[in-house]
Parts: sequence; structure tokens; C-alpha cells
Amino acid sequence: MTVAVKDNICTKSLPTTCSSRMLENFTSPFDATVVSLLSENGAAIVGKANCDEFGMGSLNVYSVHGPVVNPFGLEGGPPEQRRSAGGSSGGSAAAVAAGLCDAALGTDTGGSVRLPASYCGVVGLKPSYGIVSRWGVVPFADSLDCVGVVGKDVSTVGRILNAIAKYDERDRTAAPPHVRTKAREMCAIRLGTVGADGLNGLRIGVPQEYFPTELQSSIVQSLTKVLDRLRGKGATIMPVSLPSTPYALSAYYVISSAEASSNLARYDGIEYGLRVEPPPGANLTKTANVYAHSRSLGFGKEVQRRILLGTYALSADAFENYFLQAQRVRKLIKADFDRVFGVPNPLRTYASHDGAFSGGVDVIIHPSAIQTAPALPGLEDTPPSDSSTLNAYVQDVLTVPASLAGLPALSVPAGMGSDGWPIGVSIVGQWGSDEMVRRVGEVLESCELESA
Amino acid sequence: MLVHGGARLLTLAKRCTRKVHTSRTHKDDARWPGWELVVGIEVHAQLKSRRKLFSEALASDLSSPPNTHVSPFDAAFPGTLPRLNPKCVELGVRTAIALNAEVQHRSAFDRKHYFYADLPSGYQITQQYAPLARHGRLRLQKDDVTVRIKQIQLEQDTGKSTFLPRNRLTAIDLNRAGMGLMEIVSEPDMRSPEEAGSYVRALQALLRSVGSSDGNMEQGSLRCDVNVSVNRIGGPPGTRCEIKNLNSVKNMTVAITCEAFRQIALLDRGVPVVQETRGFDEEKAETYSLRSKEDAPDYRYMPDPNIPPLLIDKNYIDAIRRNMPELPHATRARLLGQGLSERDVEVLMDVDSGREVGYDGELGRGAVAYFDEVSRGRDPKAVVNWITHELLGQLAFRHETFTDNPISVEQMGELVDLVQCGKVTGTSGKTILRHILSTRTPDLPSKIAEGCQLLAVSDGGASLEKWCRDAIFALPEEAEAVRRGNVKVVNKIMGHVMKASRGTAKAQDVRATLLRLLQ
Repeated sequence: MTVAVKDNICTKSLPTTCSSRMLENFTSPFDATVVSLLSENGAAIVGKANCDEFGMGSLNVYSVHGPVVNPFGLEGGPPEQRRSAGGSSGGSAAAVAAGLCDAALGTDTGGSVRLPASYCGVVGLKPSYGIVSRWGVVPFADSLDCVGVVGKDVSTVGRILNAIAKYDERDRTAAPPHVRTKAREMCAIRLGTVGADGLNGLRIGVPQEYFPTELQSSIVQSLTKVLDRLRGKGATIMPVSLPSTPYALSAYYVISSAEASSNLARYDGIEYGLRVEPPPGANLTKTANVYAHSRSLGFGKEVQRRILLGTYALSADAFENYFLQAQRVRKLIKADFDRVFGVPNPLRTYASHDGAFSGGVDVIIHPSAIQTAPALPGLEDTPPSDSSTLNAYVQDVLTVPASLAGLPALSVPAGMGSDGWPIGVSIVGQWGSDEMVRRVGEVLESCELESA
Repeated sequence: MLVHGGARLLTLAKRCTRKVHTSRTHKDDARWPGWELVVGIEVHAQLKSRRKLFSEALASDLSSPPNTHVSPFDAAFPGTLPRLNPKCVELGVRTAIALNAEVQHRSAFDRKHYFYADLPSGYQITQQYAPLARHGRLRLQKDDVTVRIKQIQLEQDTGKSTFLPRNRLTAIDLNRAGMGLMEIVSEPDMRSPEEAGSYVRALQALLRSVGSSDGNMEQGSLRCDVNVSVNRIGGPPGTRCEIKNLNSVKNMTVAITCEAFRQIALLDRGVPVVQETRGFDEEKAETYSLRSKEDAPDYRYMPDPNIPPLLIDKNYIDAIRRNMPELPHATRARLLGQGLSERDVEVLMDVDSGREVGYDGELGRGAVAYFDEVSRGRDPKAVVNWITHELLGQLAFRHETFTDNPISVEQMGELVDLVQCGKVTGTSGKTILRHILSTRTPDLPSKIAEGCQLLAVSDGGASLEKWCRDAIFALPEEAEAVRRGNVKVVNKIMGHVMKASRGTAKAQDVRATLLRLLQ
């Protein structure tokens, strides 16, 4: 199998630039665990995939290598419109969609695998947090980052996941083996009752809060059709409520920016990376003044923006009202999910659980994105207006809750929008129920094929 | 009544931002009459672990070439993650137990952010909000003071930066970056520079005896930051200043004294003391401003999302408590209980504190262990005399220390036995000791004594008689003087006999025999 690797995942034999001028000439001295595992399983790493700088972006336009163009509609000549492939793993999704490789690794912090998958019309999986090792993955926000998989179909994605979802001692946030086993067992029990064929008795929740005004109407129609087909396969569809959802986007941007400001403090041009010598006569009294020359040139505008916001959120004045408040919201969001799922969260149950289903749903389904692939902005150098930056952030509104809660989420293509561009639908499960999510995805995929 | 009032005062103090010191009865200090000095100390002790706190890199020593003990994590390479070294936790818990502190069942790690070239990741991993242990105490025997320990936390050490003036460059060595440190924070319970010195020395001895740190200020494995404030006796506490980068106990006590005088001089003139961080200039014997409160950085503490909370259960703590090495106060009590004098115990423990601290808490055998083994089944007072007077004395004469001692426990033990039962004289024993030190022979003293003909004569006094007669014959004038009543002169004839006997004759017997013969 041929696999592309997002450029923020370390590879010894290829550069790892994170699409940043800061690491333009950087080669890591070691391979990421996921890269080693793929090679050991016989996959051929064909190259590194473009992405948003350090994983920060939703359109893959913030890259030292230039923007990624959505290959959909590229067959037979130039596309009628240059559209975004989504971000931050735009390169990974585009490579798979263009047939350059069978699958690609990405990273998903707030939707960075699911969003591009949705825009490019391919499958994108964000596994449960802690299932795939992050050793060798350049961190953006450690408590949110997940290595994700993009593939042309659910089966391909499943195969890659099986190869990389291994416990790694070097990552202390990785779920220990006994927790994985417990989650797997709980999931297997439930899958057993649902049956091997179809989705008999499977309960699917549709969250009321996932239909913001910005959502394109054609997407709602696609989702309705998907739900009808699933109902036809024996699933029960029911509305659920996740009341903290409106606060998720703000909480996500506070937490991720704060962690990003911390994780990017290491780029000083001393041990590795871009080094810009201070010009003669420069103020050298404080270390920060020396670093500023390398960092101002090395980081793109979006990264700088997030570092500044994140630094502010951690400052003594703002810590309580921003960072701590965002953490409280995060707890509420996790509690929302735990309330609607039928199985308890294996990370939070202390007593052993017999897998008994206590009402609630098995998975949640919702649109992956509020729109089809947006048009690429004219020139990425023109400073974006405040409203366009915020619009870019709003792309994540449907994907961030699952990130904040660390839940497995799979985006599967589900028809076309009114403009003829791909639409994706996300399936979200309880922590550790990646197998369940995958099964529903498979069924959804076969439904799509049947109706085509 | 007073106790209750004191407790209420302390509760009130907790609500104030500034700490009230304990209700210690004030002792006048002639250096600053009418004033009271308040000192608190933050000690950073490097953990003597084989590997670093969060990476698998090996600990370096002073002889390691720069940047040879650095893992990608220590150099903050992208994609690396921390992994807590359990040995560091063990050493930290040992220290906490030795300081009578409460080991927390849950502690956590935070990132402290600032930019400096010896801090590759741009943040230090420390335990700001939930330290490893709280509420300990350390008793200073001689000063009759108990210093309370506020907390003990684990944190990373930074690399070392050296300014090279010729090239106008700062060279960075990351060997030390990421090594584990214990930060031990005291309450402001000390009232004089001398108490501060005692505290640091007692802490050093404790850390070394527990095996958690070398505790050596000169080599950098122990660093002290001192907080000093002054107030009029009976008045409210004053503003404190922090003095950093002190590299010896002596400098620390001098710095505290200088700072006290500086603050008193200001307050006497009606000028308020500004809260700031100061350094100490050894040559000028004065403190100087490093940083004022306004320049104090905002460290933007953030819980480290890569490190799960550290959960320590009671069984773990109990297991460590059971296997704790003996603490200094227990050693002292035990040795005194065996009949040793205070002075002997002092010397023995002082020498013992210089023993090597092994990695990961494996303790080296020092003078106390040596004494314990030699004194097994023997008179402890005799053994300690041989060790502290003869052995240490001879080693000192050769410009050597106890670490250079080649005399095994067996050799020493046998030597003591031979002298105690009279097989060799004391003098001969010393000769044998010197012989082993200079030749480093593994032979037992009995063998050496035979070989050098040092065994005391036990032929019923025949040889003794002969030597005495020979000596009297050799020194007729002196003999005549003794016969006439000048007894003191017999010492000279004794010297002759001792020389002839090569020290194997007992002095008392020689004297008695000579006097008898010269009646």
C-alpha cells in the first residue's frame, strides 16, 4: 500500500517542514512511531504531504509550500474553480483524492482530517485520543492532537488504523493496554447484539445543536437521505441534545492556541531550524529580543496570531477567565457526550462494566462541514480581514466537540452539494468504540454505492 | 491561650498575601540591636539519578565533554515527549519522608514559560500547583530550632550557559538540561545568618545520607536562593528581597548579613525596602539588584498535557519508608548509645558525610558503616579510637582522606584485636597501620607483625630483662642518676629499650623493670 505522510509527522529519510519557514530545511533524527509501524507492516511511504503551518488552519492556505488545490473536478484539465482542499491536512486528503497514494496520514486537532476529507470527497478518520502514539508527531495542541487516516474507502482506512493503533511507552498520554482491551470488549458486546449484517437495533443520535444557521441547506438534505438509508438497514434514528455545543468553538480556540503558544516556544533557531542573526546594533540584552528575529521571519501570520492569542490566554490576567473557563466548558462537553451514549466512557468507569446498554445511542451522526469546499482566497499574502479569519475558524464548528472530548470520529462521503462538490457526514462514537464507528461507516458507504 | 491566639494569627496571615513568621521568642543580636532578621531559603538539589527526569539520557559528571549527554527530548526536538523517571520519584519520596513531610497522593506537573538559551523548549517542567510533598520540618540540633518545610517539588534543571568574552558568544552545554531537581522550600523560620548556614548544612547531610543528592554547593549539585527581610522587634514583617546565585554556605551567611545591614540602613533613613531579586558580589561583600518586581516575568504556568498526574499510594510510601537508609539524627543517637563520646561521633559523622553518594539511591559505604562493621563483636570505644585518631590521623599526614583508606574491615578488626589482647603493643599497632597504608598490602596484621618481628615478646620477661640490662650498660651516667634518686631520667633509658625492642615491649613493663634493676 502506498501512503503519504503529513509534513508535521517526523520522518528520518525525508524532511519534516511542518509547512513552515522555521523548519524548511529540517530533517528529524528519528522516525515517528506511526511511520515505523507503517514501514514494518509493508507500507511504502511515498512522500510528505502539504499542510497548514504547524497544523493551524482550516483551508491549507497557510503553507510555505503554497496552498493545496482541491483535486475534485480536476479530471481532464484545470478545475473550473480553484477550491480549498480543507485543512490542516489538505495535502493528505488531496493526495488520496487525486489518486497519488492509497492512503495518507494526517493529524486532527479540531477537525483537520475530517474537514479536508469532507471537502475532497474521501474518507477521513480521527481515532479516539490516545489510541495512536504521538511520538514523533510535531505537537500543535497536545491534549487535542490525534494522528488521523485518510483513504478512498473505509476498509483502507481501517487497515491503516489497525497497523498504527499500537500502545507506545514513549507516549505517556497513550491509553494503556488494559483500557484498550476494556473498550474493545464493551464495543464488541454491543456490536454482537447489533448483528453482523446491517445495523439492526443500532441507535443513532442526531444532535440538535449541530445545525447552525451557516449550514448550507443542501447538506441538510444529504444528511436526511443518509439517515433514511440507515433506517432502512435497521437502525433507529433519534434526536439527542448536547447543550454545551455553542461554547465548543470558543473553548477549542482558547485551549488550542494556549497549548500552541507553549509548544512553539522551542523554535529559537539555536538547536535546529531557521536562525536569523540580529542585525548590527540590535538590542541583545534580553534573550527574547534575539529570538524575535528568527521567530518573526520563521512563523507565518496565522501561527503568529495564534501564539499571541494563546500567550494572552495563559497570562496572569487572563488565565482564570479564558484558559480555566475553557477547561470548564471542555468538561461540560465531555459530560454531554457521556450522557447521550449508551455505554459509559471506559476512561471514566472505575468498576468493570458488563457492556450492558443503558438507553442512549451507539453513535452520533452529523454533517462534517457547514459547506462544500470553499473557494481559495486570491492571494494568501493579502492580509485577511478580521471577518474572513473568523469565517475560517467557523469551518471547524461541527468537528471540534469530538476533538475536545477525545472521541473517535469518521467522515464518510455522502453525496454532493447543490454546487456539485462533495459533502461528508461524520459518525462519532464513545471513546474506544472506533470499531463501532468503522462498522457504521462501512454500512453508510455501501448505502452510498447502492444508491449511486 | 497563647497557642490558640498563635493559631488564629496564622490563619489570619494565610488570608494576607504576606506570610507572618512563627511566634518565635526573639533573641537579641548584637549586630542589629532592636531589629529582627527573617530568613527563608529555597534549595534546589540535583537528584542523583542515573538518568534524567523525563528522558533516558544518562546523567553526566563534571568531566563529561559538553553536549554528550543529550537526548532529542533534552534538546527540545519537535515530536519528542516526556517520560517520568520512576527513580527520581523514589528519591523525592525518600527525601520527603526524611523531612517528615506529607507525600501527596496526587501531584501534577506544570510548564513554567520563559525564554533563555539554556532552556531549549522555552519552558521548564515543574510542579507549581500540586507538589510532591508538603508540610515537612528539619530540626537544627545545635541551634535548637525547627525549620518548617513548606513543600518539596520535582522539576527539570536547565542547561549551562558560559559567556566567552573573547568571542562575545554564549556557549550552551545541554548535559545538565533535563536533569531532575528537588526544590525544597522552607518557611521563613530562620532568624540569623548562622541558623541559615546550619539549615543548609543539615539539609546537605540529610540529602547525602538518604542518597537522593550529592548536595554539593561548590560543584553545583545544590543551589540556594535566600529570602531576607528585617523588621523592628515586635513590629510587622518587612518587605523581603531574594538573593540568588550563592555558591557556598560561607557566601550565603555573608550575603545575608550584608543584606540585613542594607535593609536596616534604608529603613533607618525612612526609605522603604523595594521588593526585588538581588545577586551577591563576593569581592565587594554587597548585594546588587538583578531584577525589580516590575521586571518579574509572568511565567504563564500551564498544566503539562503530556504528563498524566502522579499518583502515589500508601503501599509505595510505606515500602520506601521501610527501606530508608539511617538518617543523621538516628545515626548520632545510635553511636552515642554505644558509648562513643560526642566528639568521636562528630568526627565520624563528619568524615562519613564525605562518602560517595551512588546513583539511583544506592549508598556508598562511609566511615560510619566502616565503624559499624569493625566494631561488631568488639569494644566500640577502642575501635573508634583507632579509626578517628590513628587511621584518620595517618591518612591526614599522607594528605589522604577516608575515601583513600586501603585498610579493609578484616585488617582493621584484627589489628584492634591484637592490641586489645596484648599480642602487639599500641606502638607496634601504629607501625603496622602505617605499613599497610604505605604498602597497601592485603596481608593481615598478624602476618605483618610476624614478618616485621613486631609481636610482643611473651617469653616471661627474659628479652625485656636483657634489653633493660643492655640499656643500663649503654647509659651508665643516666643509670647512676636514677640510682641517686632522679627518677625522671629513667625515661631516657626507656627510650633506649623501646628502640632495642622495636616497640614490642610494653612501656609500663619497661619502666617497672628498669626501676627494679636500678634500685
